Amino acid sequence: MIRKLLRITMALGLLVVVGGLGRAEILRADQDDRDDGKRPPQTLPSGFESTDKLLRDVERAEGAPLHSAWIVESSRFLNVPHRAFQPDVGTPATVDLPVNVGIIKGPDGKLTLYDSGWKQLAYIFDWNTSCCWKGIRDQMTAIGLNPANVVRIVLGHGHWDHAGQLSEFPDAVLYIQKEELKQIDFFTNYPVDFNSGNIRAVNTINPLTGAQVGPPQQACARSPVCGYPPQTVQEILGKVLNGKAKIVDGRHEITPGLVIHPAFRGHTYGSQLLQVNTPRGQLVFGSDTYSSWTGIRDWLVANIQQTDTIQQFLAYEKCYVLTSRLNSFNNCIAAHEPTAYTPAYPITSNWWNIPSGNCSRAAELILANGEPTHVPANPDRTPPAQCVSVIPPHVIRP
Amino acid sequence: MAVGRPAAATMMSRASGLLHLRMSPRAIILGLVVLGLVGVIIFSTTREINRSATPAAVTPSSRPARPAMTPVEEAFIQSVWPIHGEVERSLMRTSLGQILYKTNDLSRADLKMRMEQALVSYGRAETSLRALDPPASLSNDRETYLDAVRLLRESALEALKMFKDGREDHLVAAYPKSQEASDKIREVGGKFWPNEFPPN
Repeated sequence: MIRKLLRITMALGLLVVVGGLGRAEILRADQDDRDDGKRPPQTLPSGFESTDKLLRDVERAEGAPLHSAWIVESSRFLNVPHRAFQPDVGTPATVDLPVNVGIIKGPDGKLTLYDSGWKQLAYIFDWNTSCCWKGIRDQMTAIGLNPANVVRIVLGHGHWDHAGQLSEFPDAVLYIQKEELKQIDFFTNYPVDFNSGNIRAVNTINPLTGAQVGPPQQACARSPVCGYPPQTVQEILGKVLNGKAKIVDGRHEITPGLVIHPAFRGHTYGSQLLQVNTPRGQLVFGSDTYSSWTGIRDWLVANIQQTDTIQQFLAYEKCYVLTSRLNSFNNCIAAHEPTAYTPAYPITSNWWNIPSGNCSRAAELILANGEPTHVPANPDRTPPAQCVSVIPPHVIRP
Repeated sequence: MAVGRPAAATMMSRASGLLHLRMSPRAIILGLVVLGLVGVIIFSTTREINRSATPAAVTPSSRPARPAMTPVEEAFIQSVWPIHGEVERSLMRTSLGQILYKTNDLSRADLKMRMEQALVSYGRAETSLRALDPPASLSNDRETYLDAVRLLRESALEALKMFKDGREDHLVAAYPKSQEASDKIREVGGKFWPNEFPPN
């Protein structure tokens, strides 16, 4: 009887396997590296990576050198309406959003920044829409990392709060997607022939009527392609002119264990992720494509100002695939996750207030190659609500 | 005692049965299925618990809100807005133009055209700014903005030399002035229009 049952079970199992292969063939139009049959509609070829390719990157990276990683909080947006950040989450009504910068240390001691925080801006401090700004160089020094060792900066995207302070690292090579630059350029001169020209990368008068109707009505504040002040683009230009920029088009392996993955329209047109090989598996830094870690965990869109929600979810999927061997979505590193620096976002739970860091925080994500911990013996973990930050000195006073 | 013996025998028999069951392939499959189900339940429960974790406490706002400008100040700021828009757009077009020229995505002729257009635009902005009558409280800001426009004009003139002698190092020489100008514009712009570039 048991043998009979076993035979039937085995036969059924074989049928399932064969059937499954059949279905897989339908889904996967081909088994080679041509992705035409798999690529979702309206996805650029250079922005698409199949699961197979991503898994190959995991396999390659696992044989590559290991890296250590930290995040530091460049600054913090205060009292942001929660639904403006995550439309599906309304409790609490407002949230404070850290602006996280990733710091990655390779076996050679060289450092890579993922994003570069923002440049100090007077109004942000004067009008209490932000706190806790501190220059990245100072932050790095305060947590025992030498800013002189920064050799490259990978920009997750070019918005002002993520792409500032580039000029603080004149020798570091910048990595940015060509798509990011092309889209800003396009929208600085958006054709008015087929619409009224309201989508612009910088504020301006109405190009059709010449009428001045803002701000705030026509401020570029809520325009989908806004977020790039000339100052930020100037800093990118400085890198290009000085031969310190690599304009990337899609996937790019920087060094073994450090791989750029495109996430086009995951937040902006040229958003990019950074896969980092570490002892806790692959970390995937996502900037604003991964604005919210709970968003990745629970499949919720976040920070959708310029985001194609499908592309954002496809970018979430990339993280799930790249981290599938170890720790899964726990290894996705978000830029603005409100629960960062708490146990609710486990990978950031080993946090501390940066000494003399104006209430900005750091978190040690993972150590490799015998790197000693950078967490102080008695870390200052004064809760944000009790930490008083100061307004940094600035030239123009309100 | 008479009760004890059959009970013990039954237990032995059950134990033997269980042992037999453990050894059989059917029991192994059954066990794996049960283990799998338990795993799924534990995973789901953990995930649900994590989902309900609330975000970090909100830091209370302790600084005062931005005080209202006087009507005169508001009017001045409003009249700078279109000038600001034109300056920003011209600066963006030339910055990106240089980048895309360097990546071979923009022709030399197109870059030249952008530079020339920007130069005209900066001249227009300077004239418009000088024609305004700022309130005393904002006159320094107007001067800062004028200074920025001057720097931009000088930078554009330097860059345009490239089209005469073919030397691209004019772009490098022109850069520090445009960078300084962009810092000044950002500071004044941030003060005048705090929500121009909101959190992204």
